[in-house]
Amino acid sequence: MRPMATQEIASDLVANVASVTAQVGQRIAAGEELVLLESMKMEIPVVAEFAGTVTAVRVTAGDVVQEGDVVVVVD
Amino acid sequence: MAAARADGDEDPRSPRTRLAEFLDAGSMKLISPEDASGMLAATGTVLGTDVVVFASDAAIQGGAMGVKGCQVVVHAYERALADGVPVLGLWHSGGARLAEGVVSLHAVGEVFAIMTRASGVIPQISVVIGPAAGGAAYGPALTDIVVLGPHGRIFVTGPDVVRSVTGENVDALRLGGPEPHGRRSGVVHVVTETTQEAYERGRALASLLADQGELDVSTVADLDLAETFPESAKRAYDVHPLIDNLVDDPQASIELHPRWAPNIITTLSRFGGRTVGVIANNPMRLGGCLDSTSAEKAARFVRMCDSFGVPLIVLVDVPGYLPGVGQEWDGVVRRGAKLLHAFAEATVPRVTLVTRKTYGGAYIAMNSRSLGATKVFAWPSAEIAVMGHVAAVRILHRRRLAEVDEAERAQVEAELAAEHAVLAGGLQRAVEIGVIDEVVAPTATCSAIARAIAQAPQKRGSHGNIPL
Repeated sequence: MRPMATQEIASDLVANVASVTAQVGQRIAAGEELVLLESMKMEIPVVAEFAGTVTAVRVTAGDVVQEGDVVVVVD
Repeated sequence: MAAARADGDEDPRSPRTRLAEFLDAGSMKLISPEDASGMLAATGTVLGTDVVVFASDAAIQGGAMGVKGCQVVVHAYERALADGVPVLGLWHSGGARLAEGVVSLHAVGEVFAIMTRASGVIPQISVVIGPAAGGAAYGPALTDIVVLGPHGRIFVTGPDVVRSVTGENVDALRLGGPEPHGRRSGVVHVVTETTQEAYERGRALASLLADQGELDVSTVADLDLAETFPESAKRAYDVHPLIDNLVDDPQASIELHPRWAPNIITTLSRFGGRTVGVIANNPMRLGGCLDSTSAEKAARFVRMCDSFGVPLIVLVDVPGYLPGVGQEWDGVVRRGAKLLHAFAEATVPRVTLVTRKTYGGAYIAMNSRSLGATKVFAWPSAEIAVMGHVAAVRILHRRRLAEVDEAERAQVEAELAAEHAVLAGGLQRAVEIGVIDEVVAPTATCSAIARAIAQAPQKRGSHGNIPL
């Protein structure tokens, strides 16, 4: 597969944003937790698929996200 | 290409080369003539298991399927059915031969018919190493497992037709390559990085399904299966390490549909030396919820395993069905029903382990006692309920909670939830009424599952494996 220059990391499901750990400019590793969502009685981490630098964080704790909403952008 | 052959060089795309490469060295025996039919078939072994394999000849009309070529495939199937061995196809074909017209369509239809007759009788595995279009797309699609190599492209109509009819500009890779079929369509079970790896996966799958071995309980060692779980019961986690700890050798596992509906895992592996199918909710994706796609994925896997006599191990940690308009309109009722049907119909040994929780409709669907599970185990801390206790009291005590001051509501909710947990009974009650057979410690689980499978009647379903 071709490496992606930018990854827009989206929520898989409707959820409350419990906490946001990612910060713009932060270097992150693949698999690192960026945002913690709460849905279906579960705490579900949103993780980076690839290593990179966080260029945008689109949510704050307490937000409600819909399925497919981009929460973090990583370059 | 023909010129290269005349020179005595092996064309790497020639079906003979591909068959020889696929089969165990020196085991190939051709069972069809090397002519211009566009298909070549052989018997041989993979990892010591007898199989029949056919390959399309990419050098002749792009591997297109004519009457003669289809006869080669039908003959290969008849041979595999007579011998009771797996049949594998190495696909690189543009579909039915245009030049032959409707007779080639009829011939391709006959291939589909015998594939369907063989469904659930002998394992059928497709390894798609080049384009597989039209009839050559539906051929693999009718088989039990489709492996896609890096050059494999599967579509009903190619980019040119798509462009002329719909105006969509798309190349073959984006239309029918590893990304769309591995992640979106569910057409492909296994995507590989190299053609060689596609062959290896195909060989390993044939061996897993045809050379299943016998479960030797004494070889199953117990370890603490709970060690891969997070401390908080609410916390999502990846279920793969649990599966890896359970099976004999994680390297020998082949996960089917790993990127499609990743909220449920379907893996073939060996356990106590025997082939088993493992199904597990994966809380890391969608919280491990069942949804329409994952229910369909699991249902097809259950039916495949049942039709070939592969016992099932079902690892349950499920918060319920995913709610939503999208899900309902997507047919979660119809598609979810497939999973109920598949489990209820299955006659292979099928053992369930509830690790953390199982709620509501998803409790029933995940191979519950009511659907005929061989054994249902639960860990001591497992929760079994119609829904989470807090959610339940919010419904049961809606009015009372509405009257409570907002500041105190959480406190009251928690008290009611604790009360409700006792009333509903949870795990203890589930054991009393016999829907959980046994509470087992995580350190004694592997051997308990092994004994349950070994002691069950080793049955096999008698049904086809329709590509649900």
